[in-house]
Amino acid sequence: MPVIETAVLSKYYGETRALDGVSMTVEPGEAFGFLGPNGAGKTTLIRVLTDLLHPSSGSATVFGLDTRAESAAIRARLGNLPGDYAYDPRLTGREIVSFFAELRGLSGLGRAPQLAERFEADLDRRLGELSRGNRQKIGLIQAAFHDPELLLLDEPTASLDPLMQEEFLAFVAEQRDRGVTVFFSSHELDEIERACDRVAIVREGSLVAVEDVAEVTSRSFKHVRLEFAEPVDPDEFRRIQGVSDLEQAGARITFKAAGDLDAVVKAAAAHTVSDIELTRPTLEEVVLTYYGRAGRR
Amino acid sequence: MSFAASPPAARRSAAAAPPPRLASLRALLRRGLRDDRYVPLIWGGALGVFSFLIIFTWPSIEDSVGELVRSYPEGLKQAFGIEQLDTVEAYFDAEMLSLIVPLAVAFLAVRTVARAIPGAEEEAWLDTLLTTPLSRASLVAGAFLVTAALTALVLALTAALTLIAGLLSGTDPAAAVIGRGLANVWPLAMFFAGLATLLAGRLHSASAVTAIASGVLVAMYLIDVVGKVSDSFEPLRWASAFKYYGSAVRDGIDPVAFIGLTLAAAALAALGALLLERRDIVA
Repeated sequence: MPVIETAVLSKYYGETRALDGVSMTVEPGEAFGFLGPNGAGKTTLIRVLTDLLHPSSGSATVFGLDTRAESAAIRARLGNLPGDYAYDPRLTGREIVSFFAELRGLSGLGRAPQLAERFEADLDRRLGELSRGNRQKIGLIQAAFHDPELLLLDEPTASLDPLMQEEFLAFVAEQRDRGVTVFFSSHELDEIERACDRVAIVREGSLVAVEDVAEVTSRSFKHVRLEFAEPVDPDEFRRIQGVSDLEQAGARITFKAAGDLDAVVKAAAAHTVSDIELTRPTLEEVVLTYYGRAGRR
Repeated sequence: MSFAASPPAARRSAAAAPPPRLASLRALLRRGLRDDRYVPLIWGGALGVFSFLIIFTWPSIEDSVGELVRSYPEGLKQAFGIEQLDTVEAYFDAEMLSLIVPLAVAFLAVRTVARAIPGAEEEAWLDTLLTTPLSRASLVAGAFLVTAALTALVLALTAALTLIAGLLSGTDPAAAVIGRGLANVWPLAMFFAGLATLLAGRLHSASAVTAIASGVLVAMYLIDVVGKVSDSFEPLRWASAFKYYGSAVRDGIDPVAFIGLTLAAAALAALGALLLERRDIVA
C-alpha cells in the first residue's frame, strides 16, 4: 500500500489554480522529491496532506487513510517541517518539544536531545531570540523527535547554512535507510538529486513528470565555459555528442553539454586551457528543456 | 552522530494513534495558562486596584453620595440600575459592575480567543500545531477553557483586592455579595468568548474577530441601557446578553440567566469549532 496517494487532486483559491488534477503515489521507505519552482503548488500539496487545506476536488490518502476523514490518525504518524518554521517566540525549543510530545501522547523529549546535538541547536533559548536558520533547526527537531513513519519536508534547507544543509541531507538519507518515508519538496534539483530516489516535477499546479532521480539527472546538462590561450576551432566541440547551443567569442567558447563530459575534457586538453567553468542549469531550464513549455514531454 | 542503528520507525510506530482528547485538552490548558500567566495579574490587578480605590473612598463620600444619587435624573438611575447607594456593596455595584468590569473582562475574553485561533493562524503557528494529532475541535475547546480560566482568575483577583480594601478601610463589604456580583460577570464574558470563537470559525484575522466581537459587545450594552429607559427599545433587550446579566449584588445570581448565558457561550463555541473544521487554515 502506498504511503501517499493522490487521485486527480485539485485545489483552487477562487480563480487561482494551486493544484490541478495531481495523481501520484509515494511508496513506503522511499525518499520522494517534489520539485518545482516557487508557486508551483508544492506547499499546497503538503498542506492538503496534513488537512490544513481541503481539496477542491479529487482525494488524497496517507497510510491508506483519507486526509479529510482520518486526519488526526494520519498526523499521529508523521512529522512536518514547513519551509519557514514558526511558533510562539516566547517559548524555548525544549518547551516546544515538550508541549508537542504531550499533544502526541508521549512522555519525555524522544530523540530531541540527540537531534539538537547533531544539528547544534540550542533547546534552551527562546525561539524569538534565534536566527531564522536556528529556528529551522528547532522546527526539524519538532518534526522528527517522535521518530515518525513519514517526514514531510517543505523546502527544509532554505535557511540552513551549507554545512547544516549537508548534515540535513545526510540525516534524510539515514531516515530513508531506516525505512522512514520522506516527502521532500524543493526547488533545488541538486538537493533532490542527493536526497531522493524518485522525483515528481510540478509546475503551475500540474504534475509534469514522475521519474527516477537518476534518470532525470542523467538527462540533465551542464553549462560549460572554456577559456583558451588563443581562439580554437569550435567545430571540434560542436561535433561532440550531447553538445548544443555552442557560441564562440574570441578565445572563449560556451555550450551546453549533456551526459558524459569525457569527450569535452579530452577535446579541451588538446589546447592550452586558461579557465574552465561548469554550472548546473536552473530548475526552470531543466523543466523547460526536458518537459517543454506546455508541461508534459 | 547517526540514527542508522535504530530499528526502522515504520515497525515501531505502526500502531501510533492520536492521544485521547482529554490529554490534548489538558496539555493545551496547561500551556495556555503558562503562556498567559501574567494576564490575570495585569487585568485582575488593574481592575482590583480600581475596585480597591472605590471601596477605600467609600467612607469619605458615604454621606454625600446619597444626596448625589437623589439628584440624578430618573432615566439615568434606571439605565444603570442605580437605586439607593446606601451601602458599600451597592456603590461597588454601580461603579464597577454596571460598566467597567463586564466590558473589560468580556473584552479580555474576546481578545484571548482571537489570539489563540485566528491570531495563531496569522502567525503560522497553527501550521505547526495542527500537524500534530490535535483536532481543530480540541484546539477550540482548549482556547475556550483557557479563556474561562483566565477570566475566572481575573475576577477572583479583583474580588480579593476589593475585600482587602474593605478590610483596610473598615467598610467590610459582604464577601458573598461582592463575590456573587463578580461571579455573575463570568458567564457574560464567556458569552462573548463564544461569539469570538464563532467568528474565528469563519475569519482568518484576529483584528477582524476582535473588532466585530467588541463592536457587538458595545452594541449589546447600549441596547440594554437604552432599552431600560425607552419603551420603544425595551423589546430589543432580549437580543442583548446584558439583559440576562442584571445585578447579582442587588438581586443575587439568577441561575437561569447564569446557566443560560454559559450554555449559549458553549453553543456558540461549538458552532465555531464546526465552522473551523470546514474551512482552510491559511498562513
